[in-house]
Amino acid sequence: MAITFLFCLLAGRFFYVQVVWSGQLGYRALDQWMREIPVVAERGIITDRNGVVLAENDTSYTVFARSNAVKDKEGTAKLLADCLDVDGEKLLDKLESVKASEITVARHVDKSAIETLAEAGPEGVYYSRDNTRVYPKGDALCQVLGFTSTDNSGTTGIEKYYDKYLAGTNGELLYETDLVGINLEGAVAAYLPAENGMNVRLTIDYGIQSICESVLEKVAETYSPVSAECIVLDPNTFEILALANYPSYDLNEVPRDDTELLNKLSRNSIVCDIYEPGSTFKIVTAAADIEESLQGNPNAFSTSYVFSSSRTRTVDGTTVKCWSNHANGKHCNQTLADALNNSCNPCFTDIALSLGKTTFYDYLSAFGFGKATGIDYSGEAIGMLLPESAVRDCDLARIGFGQTIAVSGLQLACATAAAVNGGYYYTPHLVKSIYASDGYVLSETEKSLKNRTVSEKASSTLAAMLEGVVRDGSGKKAYIEGYRVGGKTGTAQKYEDGHIAAGKYVSSFVGFFPADKPQYLALVIVDEPQGAYYGSVVAAPCAKEIFEGIISLKNIQPYQSE
Amino acid sequence: MRVQPLSERLSKTKRERSNRVTGDLTIPVLTILLSAFGVLMVYSASSYTAKTQYGDEFYFMKKQLLGFVLGVIAMGFLAFFDHRKLKKIRYIALIVPMVLLALVFVPGIGKSNYGATRWIGFGSVTIQPSELAKYGFVIFASAYMSEHMQAMRTFKGMLPVLAAGGAICVLIILEPNMSVTMCVGLLMLAMIFLGGMKLRYFLFILVPALVAVPVLIIMEPYRLLRLSAFIDPWASPKNEGYQLIQSLYALGNGGWFGTGLFRSRQKYRFLPFAESDFILSIIGEEFGFVGIFILFLICGVLIYKGIKTAAEADDFFSFLLASGITLVYGIQTVVNALVVSGTIPPTGLPLPLVSSGNTSLIITMASMGILYGISRKNAMARKGIERVNKRRR
Repeated sequence: MAITFLFCLLAGRFFYVQVVWSGQLGYRALDQWMREIPVVAERGIITDRNGVVLAENDTSYTVFARSNAVKDKEGTAKLLADCLDVDGEKLLDKLESVKASEITVARHVDKSAIETLAEAGPEGVYYSRDNTRVYPKGDALCQVLGFTSTDNSGTTGIEKYYDKYLAGTNGELLYETDLVGINLEGAVAAYLPAENGMNVRLTIDYGIQSICESVLEKVAETYSPVSAECIVLDPNTFEILALANYPSYDLNEVPRDDTELLNKLSRNSIVCDIYEPGSTFKIVTAAADIEESLQGNPNAFSTSYVFSSSRTRTVDGTTVKCWSNHANGKHCNQTLADALNNSCNPCFTDIALSLGKTTFYDYLSAFGFGKATGIDYSGEAIGMLLPESAVRDCDLARIGFGQTIAVSGLQLACATAAAVNGGYYYTPHLVKSIYASDGYVLSETEKSLKNRTVSEKASSTLAAMLEGVVRDGSGKKAYIEGYRVGGKTGTAQKYEDGHIAAGKYVSSFVGFFPADKPQYLALVIVDEPQGAYYGSVVAAPCAKEIFEGIISLKNIQPYQSE
Repeated sequence: MRVQPLSERLSKTKRERSNRVTGDLTIPVLTILLSAFGVLMVYSASSYTAKTQYGDEFYFMKKQLLGFVLGVIAMGFLAFFDHRKLKKIRYIALIVPMVLLALVFVPGIGKSNYGATRWIGFGSVTIQPSELAKYGFVIFASAYMSEHMQAMRTFKGMLPVLAAGGAICVLIILEPNMSVTMCVGLLMLAMIFLGGMKLRYFLFILVPALVAVPVLIIMEPYRLLRLSAFIDPWASPKNEGYQLIQSLYALGNGGWFGTGLFRSRQKYRFLPFAESDFILSIIGEEFGFVGIFILFLICGVLIYKGIKTAAEADDFFSFLLASGITLVYGIQTVVNALVVSGTIPPTGLPLPLVSSGNTSLIITMASMGILYGISRKNAMARKGIERVNKRRR
């Protein structure tokens, strides 16, 4: 009886362990039977629209050590420390304390170091191929491209936004090993191939990008601003052709240790930061007025209407003043075109107030203010726009000429483009296509219309007026003989703690050409220039240089008057 | 003693009509089968370790094969040896192993391994005296108790047996070897019980023995660690719990039908003592639950035959001797299986006949030879009865 009992007990116990518990035990055991060597997927490259490589990979190696298999721990630690520039003592400590598992000794080791190491051939040390991200153009487009972490995952910028396409999937080499990690003879090594990342082609034109960056550098040299940004886009598609922020940094030498500096340098200000646009915003107000006038809104002013020549307007008991003193016949008897030329504030106050809150806010909304543009970049600023319900007339009066509102550079550039391109607001984008190395195209970004802003007619009228601004008005410094450049300057005072900060201005200029059929639109923002501060003086020449650069780069022929 | 019904005996004797009287052939057949399987499994479990450590994948297998051959010879010899003569050597059988056990502590002769001194060595030959001691005790106790049957009913009368068993236990625990000590203790109790010990005396010994267990555990800290590791092996997967975890991994990997012969994964140095104390894990891995079940069935049949032989024995000495031999085999087999499956805390105890280790193999096979000898004598005795019956008819 006792024997039968013992027999049943044993059989039951073995049944439990071998059959019932088997799966769970097997799962745990698998870990010790296999040694995995990662097969690192190659991260996709990033190119500009013409295939100029902006981000690619260098082959590097990762060095592992399996402490159980390392016989001479001290010697190996010393050897690795010598070859790989790692802390030998720490490594020795790890080798002695961590058992039966893999230690990553160093990453991104270059080939020559591996060769030296391989010659010494230490036991228990393994290598696997890895990639190190390199940016051939250094600091070009640095804020847009972003960088990757040491384990090759995107941390900022496009690298982060498109990480899931760029990253690929790591594979694995699985070796069956004995306890100390020695490969078993005749054991099948399982190979899970890595799936390389997809490549990303940007809308950026590296040629235009370099022009912008050198222009910014030059303006920075001349006016020592806190920062300077510029964006160039194609008004017909809202493809971003260039996007530059000064100061920049070398993507190959990311200052990872100085977080504050890194945050500052890697910030894509023109997309992620907001500013008070000032006079460049008058484009929007003018567009609204022209369109309303064409539609027969009695509150709108026709293009032949002559605005009051007074320097001031009184709204809700507050006084709105023009930046000019209106003395000696300045800013006198102006039509809308003149008001744009002179950038006369009171005229735009008249428009905003006359159109009224509801109509004006409809236009602000159509031009994308107070909401995201939808660009394929994370951290886009949506700006600050008083809610329609809370806005008072005195606020409305100032919004008319670009105060009491804060926008991102990107928003302003897009709004301008949507005002002069026939009235189409598209979604701006940075990526043109995502494709595999074998040519397979995963996705191609088509232009996508978000909404209409104004009619074709209103748009062309406005564009012609803005051409006038550059030809005859405040934008003269952007004038290029033979090319129909249109544009608008902006000089905004900076606020600090709710008060106007004396002597601190943001100079800007938004321009486009050719005015009759805009192909290129550029916005230049110079933050706190020293020595001069008018947008017409600081920013307009930058836009001119950019346009001239584009003209020579694209070999655009001058306009022939018939 | 139970006497078999006459009809049963008669039916059996028909088969044993020939002049040459055979005993229960199942005993040697199963012994050889298990030992041969042991040689195979020792090879399977140790080939990798042997190759990496000794450069010869047959290293352990060759040793085991030698033990197997010597074991068969010993078994064959003892099968035709009159076991009753063992009575005469009872003191030698007791004292020689004890001297050898004592020799373990003599430096230069005793050999240490894994923190315990359990072997004595003369040149390349090493033997484990505790293996001998178990059988020495069985012979001594059987002889003594069968001679002093009346005295066994008193406490005083069985004192010599207790003293002998106790002395062996003390010597073994000093090695230290807790598991063998417990096995010998268990064997001693079972033998005394069979010897006719009264139950109340029995309790009188059992209680101090049970008290001794926790004391012994606390004495050696490693035992406590092992005990806690047994309760939750994954609390210290790299140290105390390691062996048990590895054993469970092996068994788990086996599943229903196993990975197949030579296809163990755990033998690649993951499972320590894969060819000796934990060979059952490898068997479980390569042959699965079904294989283990069949193995247990075979062991069970062998134990059953041992008990049957004891039950049929004519004299008290033979009865005790057969019981003792069966007990030694049975206790070790069961304890080993319990350890391997993580049912009781891990201890170093081989699976008799199968695990590598020549001392154990040869002596267990030899003991099976004695067992067969007893069964043969039983058969001869039956034949005698048959003749008597014939004459009466």
